[in-house]
Amino acid sequence: MTRFVAERLLQSVILVLIVLTITFFLMHLSPGDPMSRYDDPNISPETVRLIREQLGLDKPVPEQYMRWMASFLRGDFGVSLRFNRPVSSLLAEAIPNTLRLTIAALTLYIVIGVILGLLSAVRRYSLFDRLSTIAALFVYSIPSFWLALMLILLFSLKFEILPSSHMQSMGVSGMGWLARFSDRIAHLVLPAFVLGVASAAGMARYMRGSMLDVLREDYIRTARAKGLSERSVFLKHAFRNAAIPIVTIIGLSLPFLLGGAVIIEKIFSWPGMGALMVDSIFARDYPVVLAVNFVVTVMVILGNLAADIGYALLDPRIASGRKAGK
Amino acid sequence: MKETIKRSYWSSGWDRFRKNPMGMAGAVIVVSLYLIALFAPVIAPGDPVDHGDLPSMRHLPPGGSHLLGTDKFGRDVLTRLLYGSRISLVIGFIAVAISVLIGTIVGAVAGYAGGIVDSVIMRIVDALMAIPRLFLLLTCIALFSRSIWLIIFLLGATSWMATVRLVRAQLLTIKEQDFVVAAEALGAGKRRIILKHLIPNTLTVIIISATLRIGGIILAEAALSFLGLGVPPPTPSWGQMVFEGREVLLGAWWVSTFPGLAIIITVIGYNLLGDGLRDAFDPVQFS
Repeated sequence: MTRFVAERLLQSVILVLIVLTITFFLMHLSPGDPMSRYDDPNISPETVRLIREQLGLDKPVPEQYMRWMASFLRGDFGVSLRFNRPVSSLLAEAIPNTLRLTIAALTLYIVIGVILGLLSAVRRYSLFDRLSTIAALFVYSIPSFWLALMLILLFSLKFEILPSSHMQSMGVSGMGWLARFSDRIAHLVLPAFVLGVASAAGMARYMRGSMLDVLREDYIRTARAKGLSERSVFLKHAFRNAAIPIVTIIGLSLPFLLGGAVIIEKIFSWPGMGALMVDSIFARDYPVVLAVNFVVTVMVILGNLAADIGYALLDPRIASGRKAGK
Repeated sequence: MKETIKRSYWSSGWDRFRKNPMGMAGAVIVVSLYLIALFAPVIAPGDPVDHGDLPSMRHLPPGGSHLLGTDKFGRDVLTRLLYGSRISLVIGFIAVAISVLIGTIVGAVAGYAGGIVDSVIMRIVDALMAIPRLFLLLTCIALFSRSIWLIIFLLGATSWMATVRLVRAQLLTIKEQDFVVAAEALGAGKRRIILKHLIPNTLTVIIISATLRIGGIILAEAALSFLGLGVPPPTPSWGQMVFEGREVLLGAWWVSTFPGLAIIITVIGYNLLGDGLRDAFDPVQFS
């Protein structure tokens, strides 16, 4: 087990280093000199030379690469060209907001997906099962931005029951904690639903398949033979085992959720990393763009690592089976 | 002998495909969309970029001479929708072709070369796959200037990684088979073996997975256009049309609604077609 964790950890570190290298190449491939913003007759060539030296741009590329890599790993992502503030402080504001949205979507899609998947498995080939197969196909094909607009049209503009943007209402600070809390939840409902719904469809299909696989196992027959109720066979024996692979699915859904957050944050004026990314692209604020890309990727890699380790903990065959197999 | 085996493989696959109503529905949708894109100037009632007589033409509701209404410039939504199919389909097609080409070459090299080359390539693929697709796409768009061809290229260039894994896995199984070993024994070069033996034998799987990928690429293009980072206006693109209706959702719901439905139908079409092809032709599925 320790060996498995150590191996996976090492793989993740290598992955992060490769991503860093790719980022560095992207930065150098991009047109324009980072010094071009000092192209100003009021700045003397001598000053420009000094700044160049200060930024390490006079050094050979391999040395620049090492220095840049070291500062990135320390969390020093440079200064935003747009705000003239350290990129890390912009990220510190945006990351918690994105996490709040993603975790809400994650929770929502797991709950919806598992319930729908279980119902489909229990009533295999029933009308419900068929309808949910078709619904899954449909949900996969809906552009999230369009779904978001339609739900805003319905729930925010027509019936006015849910807010359509931002994380909280104006003037919310004067209210009691309960009002504040429900205000935040209300603001979370639409974006989290839109972000999670496609994954919920995937989860439902997965849960159904996993359940049907487990139900074919011998120990299920044994449980039934012992005279246990169908309910207990389903929930206690089958579900517990069928649910283990879900951990992997959660890990795999992370890039999808974080990528989806770009659009959702933009539509719902949610001040997270996705919105920061898009605004920075329009402003040609490269340091922010590269840093957001890097941080999001590290989050995905960490998420996958956690999922793998979690899976190995839940199902010890993974870690030990791997050792025996190799 | 070889000919009969080939023919029976394709004809039996085709028989399976024809009996699958979902797959056929997908094929009908996709073919219709290409016909619409091809004949857009003939069937469209108006001009896609011509401004109508403002303000009397602005935001006319569906019905009458404007079946799906007009947008804020008084342009006919149906016309723009029909022309918009061109962008989506061309982008989907060319971008997927680029992604398949890159993915097949890289996957073939990794799978055939093996050893350290394989390890290095696969680690880079892992790293690229860890970067959420939209972020990778946006980073590239931010760093390079925007044009329709660049967008198409980037859509393809950021989505080839899955093909690499697929092709590599296929090659690893085929590589060990007798006819490849025989070709090697006869002194065929690596290039010849990859091009003449390995790639043709993975083609079916590649085509199926490409079809399944087109839907995702069309969605990605629509998302970019919606963010204002895709195809530059006034060229009608569905994602951008949805965006244009955003400010007038309550007053003129049709501006956003119909292009969204067009995207859904297109993506469903490709997904059904891809599923159908996989069920009919993928050797793993029916063996």
